[in-house]
Amino acid sequence: MDLAVKDIRRHVGKFLATIAGVAMLLAIVLVMNGIYQGNIADGVWLIDNTATDLWVVERGRGGPINESSRMPKDSYRSVAATPGVARASPLVLYTAQREIAGTSQQFTIVGYDVFGGLGGPGRIAQGRAIEAPHYEMVADRKLGLAPGDRVALATHDYTVVGLTEGAVDAAGNPLVYLSLPDAQEVQFQQDNRALEAARAANLKRLERVGYTEAQSERLLPLLSAGGDTINAVLVTLEPGADPSAVAAHVRDWLYFNVFTTGEERSLMLEGRLRRMSAVLGLFRGLLVVVSIVIIALIVYVLTIEKIRSIATLKLIGAPNSVIVRLIMEQSLALTLASFAVAYALREAIAPGFPRTLHFLASETAVTFAVMLGGGVVASLMAIWHALRTPPQLALGG
Amino acid sequence: MAVLEVTGVSKTFGSGELAVQALKPATFAVERGELIALLGPSGSGKSTLLLSISLILEPSAGRIVMNGTTVYDDGWTGIDVRAFRRRNIGFVFQQHNLIPFLTAQENVALMMQLNGASHRDAARRARELLGYLEIAHRADSLPANLSGGEQQRVAIGRALANEPRLVLADEPTAALDTERGTRVMALLRKIARERGSAVITVTHDHRMIEGFDAVYHLDDGRLSKLEREAAGAVRG
Repeated sequence: MDLAVKDIRRHVGKFLATIAGVAMLLAIVLVMNGIYQGNIADGVWLIDNTATDLWVVERGRGGPINESSRMPKDSYRSVAATPGVARASPLVLYTAQREIAGTSQQFTIVGYDVFGGLGGPGRIAQGRAIEAPHYEMVADRKLGLAPGDRVALATHDYTVVGLTEGAVDAAGNPLVYLSLPDAQEVQFQQDNRALEAARAANLKRLERVGYTEAQSERLLPLLSAGGDTINAVLVTLEPGADPSAVAAHVRDWLYFNVFTTGEERSLMLEGRLRRMSAVLGLFRGLLVVVSIVIIALIVYVLTIEKIRSIATLKLIGAPNSVIVRLIMEQSLALTLASFAVAYALREAIAPGFPRTLHFLASETAVTFAVMLGGGVVASLMAIWHALRTPPQLALGG
Repeated sequence: MAVLEVTGVSKTFGSGELAVQALKPATFAVERGELIALLGPSGSGKSTLLLSISLILEPSAGRIVMNGTTVYDDGWTGIDVRAFRRRNIGFVFQQHNLIPFLTAQENVALMMQLNGASHRDAARRARELLGYLEIAHRADSLPANLSGGEQQRVAIGRALANEPRLVLADEPTAALDTERGTRVMALLRKIARERGSAVITVTHDHRMIEGFDAVYHLDDGRLSKLEREAAGAVRG
């Protein structure tokens, strides 16, 4: 006779409610795992999915993703002339927020040389890559756009020609790819009122220091902000070229910072992502501990509730194996069923979750093993208590 | 051959100046089919004696022989005490102590299955036993849905499940009203007569000692046998 199954069948409502509660907690643990890995995956997605050997950025900066970086646009030509460099392409990268598909959305614009340059979208999930020099865009599906949609950015409308899947910046915002000049225009072009206000302010400043109106008119273009800057130069090397030698040359002669893709990745992991990963990791750890404690308490309480029955079983001569099986089976049933429900909940939550969830099978397995271990340890504690229960507890009133 | 022979069994708790002799050397024997009452006030040593002959509490000295097997002789004799108890002793408790998540039939069948009976055989025999105890119609009920008297009948069924030679009943009528208590005592008498089990009943309830074959009295740890007149006087 399987006492554990009998007990569960008699108290099925209570058991299911317990499973539901524990499962929700475990689902949070599993989703937290996904957030933790998703944070890392988002953080390095652009680096991992940009086919480049070296990232050349502004001197003294760790850009262009971990930190801002600004360079003259033509600097890519100097880099291209460096021995060992096969190709060098300018890249523009900045965050924007606009109303798209009816809602205000934040995204990152990637401007690249659409005619054979580096840094464009790797795999197009739907539609095609940008083929025209202007007013075409490739956007990530997350923005809710479809090929053929038109999006107003700055003073122009851009046609969506292709969609990517899962292309995100370090914060998990979707990417929008534009041609380099379009990206620069969207970044720097101001509307007419803003331009007029800036022009008037500059004229006033010049007149205040004694320039005539004619002189001021001539000097004005020098004071307006230039839009011909880029954020990085992407480099692919010639076969057999030594990356460190090329990097040293660029650093010493062109006064830029140079990072390999691995170094760029490390910058992100040890910089911007470290604190967030630490926070998420801490919460994840705490949740695991809380879950184990709760499972342990439930298993223990389930046993304590039956302590008189256990004493009776001992008194009537039931072997310890019967008592051990009763406790262990219930504990395992609770843990396994809760984890299964939690897994199903996770799968149901993931598609609509506002952040990227990245699940590693190994991590899920470790979480399962930890929870199972916690359940087993709790059972052993309960068993220890049960086996120490004196049978005479069953006697008397 | 006596079902139970207790010779000079005593129990002392603690040692030195703090030692308390809860049970002074007690000697008695119970024959097959005999119904024995064990009376005594609280703290007189009844529970100590009951636990000792239940093989739960190890006595300090003496000898216990059950069904011809020496189980204690100034120390356990090396038998598997729990298995021996399961095969040879049936228990009836004051609070019935049925397993709450098992039906009446399952409570009885569990004892049989613990002793190696198959699921089917145990279920059949449990139903027969409940029929003998006139409670077969409640076989599929959970203890919570049974009255106190019905629960006690099921508990008696569980005690008889493995046809033990010895049945120990600890205050079996304490939680019942007089009418139900009388019926339970009549049932225990019937069991002793018809099934040949020796039944030792610990009771405070002097109204229930009618019909016992022997009545023992414990006072301050000292066991003495009451003659019929004395037992009547106690009852009166």
